[in-house]
Amino acid sequence: MGHHRLALDLLTALRGATRLALLLAAVAVGSFALVVNSPVDPVAAYVGADVAALGPAQRALIAQRWGLDDPAPERFLAWLGNLVRGDFGFSATFNRPVLEVIGDKFLASLALMALAWLLSGVLGFALGLVAGARQGRLSDRAITWWCYTLASAPAFWVGLLLLYAFAVSLNWAPVCCAVPIGVPAAEVTPLDRLHHLVLPALTLSVVGIAPVVLHTRRAVVETMAADHVTFARAQGERGLGLVVHRVARNAAAPALLLQFGSLGELFGGSVLAEQVFSYPGLGAATTAAALGQDVPLLLGIVLFTAVLVFAGNAVGDRLHAALDPRAALADGRGRS
Amino acid sequence: MRGFSGWLAAAVVVVVGAAGCSAGGTSGGPAPTELRLAIGGESEEGYDPTLGWGRYGNPLFQSTLLARDADLNVVNDLATRHEVSPDGLVWTVDVRTDARFSDGRPVTARDVAYTFTTAARSGGLTDVTVLVEAVAVDQDTVELRLTKPQSTFVNRLVSLGIVPEHAHGPDYARNPVGSGPFVLEQWDEGQQLIVRRNEGYYGRKPAFERVVFVFTGEDASLAAARSGQVDVAALPSSLASTDMPGMRLHRVESVDNRGIAFPYQADTGRRSAAGHPIGNAVTSDPAVRRAVNAALDRRALVDGVLDGYGRPATGPVDGLPWYEPAGAAPDDDPDAARRLLDEAGWRDADGDGTRERDGVRAEFTLLYPATDSLRQGLALAVVDMLAPVGIAVTAKGESWEVIRTRMHADPVLFGWGSHDPTEMVNLYSSAQAGTELWNPGFYVDAEVDAALDAAMAATDPEVATARWKDAQRAFAPDAPWAWLVNLDHTYFVDSCLDVGPVQVEPHGHGWPITWAITGWRWTC
Repeated sequence: MGHHRLALDLLTALRGATRLALLLAAVAVGSFALVVNSPVDPVAAYVGADVAALGPAQRALIAQRWGLDDPAPERFLAWLGNLVRGDFGFSATFNRPVLEVIGDKFLASLALMALAWLLSGVLGFALGLVAGARQGRLSDRAITWWCYTLASAPAFWVGLLLLYAFAVSLNWAPVCCAVPIGVPAAEVTPLDRLHHLVLPALTLSVVGIAPVVLHTRRAVVETMAADHVTFARAQGERGLGLVVHRVARNAAAPALLLQFGSLGELFGGSVLAEQVFSYPGLGAATTAAALGQDVPLLLGIVLFTAVLVFAGNAVGDRLHAALDPRAALADGRGRS
Repeated sequence: MRGFSGWLAAAVVVVVGAAGCSAGGTSGGPAPTELRLAIGGESEEGYDPTLGWGRYGNPLFQSTLLARDADLNVVNDLATRHEVSPDGLVWTVDVRTDARFSDGRPVTARDVAYTFTTAARSGGLTDVTVLVEAVAVDQDTVELRLTKPQSTFVNRLVSLGIVPEHAHGPDYARNPVGSGPFVLEQWDEGQQLIVRRNEGYYGRKPAFERVVFVFTGEDASLAAARSGQVDVAALPSSLASTDMPGMRLHRVESVDNRGIAFPYQADTGRRSAAGHPIGNAVTSDPAVRRAVNAALDRRALVDGVLDGYGRPATGPVDGLPWYEPAGAAPDDDPDAARRLLDEAGWRDADGDGTRERDGVRAEFTLLYPATDSLRQGLALAVVDMLAPVGIAVTAKGESWEVIRTRMHADPVLFGWGSHDPTEMVNLYSSAQAGTELWNPGFYVDAEVDAALDAAMAATDPEVATARWKDAQRAFAPDAPWAWLVNLDHTYFVDSCLDVGPVQVEPHGHGWPITWAITGWRWTC
């Protein structure tokens, strides 16, 4: 029995790894084709406003330094070959190896995304519980309305509003960056970093909060109508106790699935939030790479994000199954 | 929702209370020894002059052989003397002997030669491709040998920061060593650059121990200025009328110009080397180009579109030492425009308000980059100004990729402006027709070519200046461009900060303001 179980687990893991490998290959080919066929000329993008000062000879030098002279399929194969050896290439925008850039920027983004992710998850779940339990009442209507507003508000716009309210008018929060202006690195405290994290994280959490609230709310509403809740009610259970003991577990499953599945949107939101707050993370690097046609960096980031999103979805599936065995049995055809 | 915002407020209060806030020089007390600027211009790839850092004339960490003063005259910096050989092929530069790099080693002629050689070979943003070789002939003399005479090569001596041969490697861009007024203390990529005064600098030492450059976007820069966290903020002129407590508006004239490039050739089905169509049946007529130039009211463009933050443009190099006022285009004279068109046979026979000649209507499409709201405003105003004289213009926003394919056949609203007169060659010389974005209209004129070539080949700066002026007189009657306006660059500067004399700034807002940062002082 134990052996069987182990073999099954191994098989599942293998299937997952194969799926990830196929996904990465497809993503790599797809994004390379998109980038190479985009109308943006990488040298022109790099030269930018200096177009008046650089002659054709200098442009040829730039193209040569970046290896743009070779035909696209050759460049792709060379890139792939290096990738297999663990070399992600060199970012022209940042004049550094791609892996170094991603590592640095992701560390900065990690705190931001983690905080935003936790905020939207915890807050979203709590609000969803409240709204579902008090279906139809004022608090439910207020929360639902708030969610529809958030769902239709662009992240950068929310960021700007927060920036003007808390940084400019109230002067409570810093206007930019991950560290205080003009302070040597050695003197930056963890509290400083948290201070600089609050507004961007709030902005970013807005991206994910509305769907979590709404899904949780619906799950709560459905569960409240279920037989076992009616039975508990008949036995005199009421209020918070009822929600926590009888409903929360059922509602948690879709919320978790959603929360782990939203890593992609979280990343997309960070591109905007980081831009507004000059936060030096992966999102800002993605913008720079895209605008500058920095192919190695862009591909590196795309692959990295694909792994992140894949892992998020896998974890979400597992947790969902653990919390709601029916979902595992039905292999996704659950009652949700 | 009370719970949510309550939580937020509590969190922010806790964090802010602990971290505190420091403001710039507005708070009174002793003048701060630190300066904070939000003027953009981060060099993402690092601070290596051989890759293009400092091409706006202020490499901070490195020093340059020559510099330009407030009137844009060339003055010595690291060089004590420079001389051009009679054939224009060899530039000989004497280097001062008291300059030291921030690591203590002296700056030698070998370092200068190394810098120029490296810059010529590296595929970066500084174009030194005219250089054959740079040779240190003795301890303090360098010979720069060129493939052809080039009077504008002086701009490389003005902008290329000298790097030390012994400390220049792959990590140099992140750890620059130089002989400039500042040394790099810390660079938080994507956020800020903190620099410290170089106590060993041979020139005038800055008044500030540290300078912080904050790399914020427009919104965050505005926010930083408003909340007193920076002393200088570069903001677009559309925000210049904002009230900013503790700061004053600092307007700097520029040659950051906007103008219309006309397709100069007739439409005969010709195509460029890249396969793009050349020629336009309407704008190839000099009468149309002159009429457009005469009909435009440039003062109204400045007042209406730029909110007054600019100057009418009369040519591509307004206010620079090589500017020729006699080359100025006529302005705000619709009657003259009508006369020109009448004489050339453009008549409105069918009474629809637009003239025609031999079945060709006097109409064209004016392209501008769609993301640029300023150029959109200018283009739409041009449409309104030309309709009354009988020329129908359609303004159309496109991406640069599309504009590149259509710029030889449709007029385009470009922006230029440089301290390097090479730009005039690029825009007007027939040799540059169809190269990059230069001379997009395929303008050809032998007299202009001769004057531009003579200016390039001149070994005496005075002679070069005279030839640049000749060229402007020669291309003015052909009107291959209709120059519209020069923008003012607008900054908010702390009321207590004196930023000294101003220089007419080139295209590109922000970084050029630092050209004289070593002379900035607190006044209260």
